[in-house]
Amino acid sequence: MSGRSKLLKVVLLGDGGVGKSSLMNRFVSNKFDAQSYHTIGVEFLNKEVTVNGENFTMQIWDTAGQERFKSLRTPFYRGADICMLTFAVNDRKSFENLPMWKREFLYYADIQDGAPFPFIIVGNKCDMPNREISEEMAQSWCSRNANAPYFETSAKDATNVQLAFISAVSRMREMEDQLEVKPVQTNSVDLSKKQKPLNSGCCS
Amino acid sequence: MAFQNQVLFAKDSVYVHINVQDTKDKDAHIAGRVFLLNKPEGYFIEWKAEDVLNLETTSEEWDVINYKNDREGDSVSMNAKMDARRKYNISFDILDLKSFKRSAPNHGWAYIIFILKDGTTFPALHFHNGGSKALLKELENFIYIRRSPNDPRLFLVKDHDPEQLSQSINELSLFTDSSGAYVQNFVNDSKHGLSKKFIKSPYTTTLGGFSKVTNFLRDVLMTPENSQNLVRPQSEVAELLQDDIPGMEISQLDEPGFEMITKTKLPPRPTVKRGDPLASPQWNSFFDAEGRISKVDELKDIIFRGGVDPALRSEVWKFLLGFYDWDSCSKKRTDQRKRKVDEYFRMKLQWKTISAEQEKRFTLLKERRGLIDKDVMRTDRTHKFFAGDKNPNLQVLYDILMTYCMYNFDLGYVQGMSDILSPILVVMENEVDAFWCFAGAMERVCHNFEMDQNGMKVQLSQIHKLMQIQDPELCAYLEAHDSGNFYFCFRWILIVFKREFHFHEIQRLWEVIWTDRPCSNFHLIISLAILESEKSTLLENKFGFTEILKHINDISLSIPLEETLRKAEGIFLQLRDYKKLPISLKEILGLLPPAHVPASQSMENSMFMGSTSNSSSSLQQEAGVKVDTPTLMAGGAGSGASSVKGVTRSGSGSDLTKGTVGAACSANVARSIGMSARYGGGARQSNGGGAGGNAGATCGMDDVHKVFT
Ligand SMILES: Nc1nc2c(ncn2[C@@H]2O[C@H](COP(=O)(O)OP(=O)(O)O)[C@@H](O)[C@H]2O)c(=O)[nH]1
Ligand SMILES: [Mg+2]
Repeated sequence: MSGRSKLLKVVLLGDGGVGKSSLMNRFVSNKFDAQSYHTIGVEFLNKEVTVNGENFTMQIWDTAGQERFKSLRTPFYRGADICMLTFAVNDRKSFENLPMWKREFLYYADIQDGAPFPFIIVGNKCDMPNREISEEMAQSWCSRNANAPYFETSAKDATNVQLAFISAVSRMREMEDQLEVKPVQTNSVDLSKKQKPLNSGCCS
Repeated sequence: MAFQNQVLFAKDSVYVHINVQDTKDKDAHIAGRVFLLNKPEGYFIEWKAEDVLNLETTSEEWDVINYKNDREGDSVSMNAKMDARRKYNISFDILDLKSFKRSAPNHGWAYIIFILKDGTTFPALHFHNGGSKALLKELENFIYIRRSPNDPRLFLVKDHDPEQLSQSINELSLFTDSSGAYVQNFVNDSKHGLSKKFIKSPYTTTLGGFSKVTNFLRDVLMTPENSQNLVRPQSEVAELLQDDIPGMEISQLDEPGFEMITKTKLPPRPTVKRGDPLASPQWNSFFDAEGRISKVDELKDIIFRGGVDPALRSEVWKFLLGFYDWDSCSKKRTDQRKRKVDEYFRMKLQWKTISAEQEKRFTLLKERRGLIDKDVMRTDRTHKFFAGDKNPNLQVLYDILMTYCMYNFDLGYVQGMSDILSPILVVMENEVDAFWCFAGAMERVCHNFEMDQNGMKVQLSQIHKLMQIQDPELCAYLEAHDSGNFYFCFRWILIVFKREFHFHEIQRLWEVIWTDRPCSNFHLIISLAILESEKSTLLENKFGFTEILKHINDISLSIPLEETLRKAEGIFLQLRDYKKLPISLKEILGLLPPAHVPASQSMENSMFMGSTSNSSSSLQQEAGVKVDTPTLMAGGAGSGASSVKGVTRSGSGSDLTKGTVGAACSANVARSIGMSARYGGGARQSNGGGAGGNAGATCGMDDVHKVFT
């Protein structure tokens, strides 16, 4: 929690049960809890990372996926820097719902129409034998969606979890650089739309 | 290169209490050791389970023990028990420590709850064998700690800067007898070089400026430093300016030109005593010769004050949850029960007999099946009753939830319902009884689960309104930190604190709540009581929006139940006796004479308002506003139609099925088609039919016919 690191708000979205909470816990504490509860309400965890020499505090937001809790989760999309769209490779329906999640996010995060935004696509539970979505199918969807990076992960055996989250940060930085609309002091622009870094009382 | 971590302090017999059946359960307390370590990254407090330590100390070096965040994959090889233990491990840099809470002095042993700057709140560390003071003494050598002026149990860590640190040496030490605290390598740490500008805290501002309306509004409108930088929309500002702030008495005594807000002058809080649980002899004495309960009110009073002896729960809960009528005699109960058994199996048969082929064209059912399937696997799996992959009770949980879909198809399955069912099933140990008691419990909370979420919104706003009177200071603080919508209480309300208390405690809490004493919205007052206990932590740590959310999420399982109940009843009594209590609050608290329709019931009566949604909040009613919001889902009115208490079933689910399968499907029929003497069996191949076959062991037919006498 160094004062010099920039706060990145990451929103994890996807159908219930695809493994969002498990991915978050694997990434933040490197634990997998087979006895965990399903998420009720909204939770978040922080994780300090260094990507290409820059320090970030990733603040990862995890919500309940059921349609009816939409009004609870959508207020938390505002100010997001990264969105990770998650499905389970053994659950076709969860894959088919990706466009729905993307739409919901763009709408409530208040992202301008057509503005590029760093989405990362995650196909979780790749340790499972009964796959319903092949890597090609997923890749093909990604290529039709602004070439969003795709990762096949397993929160259970830790495959690619770090990679997916860290790549999300690089992806965001790349897009920022490409845009070049933003001046070097992006901080002020970015911070204005999201909450302060955590220990704001004392630093930064 | 291995760096030998220097152990500055270590103490064993430090326990984490986890959520299991009850405190007698040998798994309820995980033994572990607490350390203060000097690591290359800084000074750390760590706690590790003994099991994990024993396993790990085979390799000598600390950095092996230290769980590396950036190395993946090494926990998979661990066996499940180790994984379960390891998940409770605690490790944090003391620079991230914001404050901590100690147990009350009269608590049997000492415990400490550590709270970090980002709101992370660890489970309480229980020092069964002492040592908490020694740890804090040690800690005091590195950080400047002061006691909260408002909450004697709360300690705050001052941000580190050399000036303050030197101050700490001079100031009264809290945990040492001498003032010989010393600083060890501390200022060398690069992290310390950070200059911490002292920002005027929002709390100070709030407190200091609280007496002035102007300042109050400024606080609310100009979002303080610490909180989300969301700019309040103009409309909201206008609203705030218009609203007079309820609960604030405005006088102009003090300074001319400034309106003075004093805190609400509630009457003093009465001391409230809790009682003993209802036990067998007493319970039996309530029945007359025909097995009818006399003096129901008196009985409910006892249950409200002390709960129910666990051994009696499965009987008493059947009354509390409307399985039996309060005024029934034994004969009637025998009949009631028989009918309910038949009724249950009739409904169970409905979904059981839907073929895979049929289900392909029954998306809604298929989706619900999927949801239930996933959630059953994620409900109270640390509890013995549901532990283990092939546990047959999971199948029972599943079957009841599926059958509930048939019973109340309009509502369907919503996440959170499995949490409501689980403690009930554990108490009933019988599928049919558990189903009907669950249905009764759902009647009380079904508006939480409805599509438009209005029941939830109404209750969160009711907490808000109550707090405006009960604790305007805390209320203003929360509002000023973007938490005025009380979203952080969402989980509390949705599943009636199920995740916030240990298993045996939630059973106690629920039976208290089910008495509808002192009012049917007691759960809202309980929310106020918990928040009051956290007030100093939130305010003095200057927690903002995210920290508040995190802290409230994290205090689950460390909320003292009896103390909270006492506090809540005290708050209720204070509000009840408050002369100027606004009508809308009286309504929430059920204090209006019967002529008025209490808010809680107006929600239930929405059916009579045509397509009006449940949002008829008391405010709208007061203002005579009738909002004609069409319900989003056809089921809105149907499921809301039934009364709060009892199991007056009016959901169209049961109507729909009448005459289709009908009474033909008695328990005998059910048995004959093999769904069974062991009703977990073979329903769905995908869900481990074999294992399910054992369900009867605890929830078999035989039990079904064991009739309450
Ligand atoms: N095999 C396997 N199971 C997983 C994986 N990730 C999560 N799960 C399990 O899938 C279920 C749903 O996970 P959860 O994280 O609660 O999903 P969420 O609803 O998206 O947050 C849980 O029972 C997890 O144990 C994974 O990578 N592999
Ligand atoms: Mg989750």
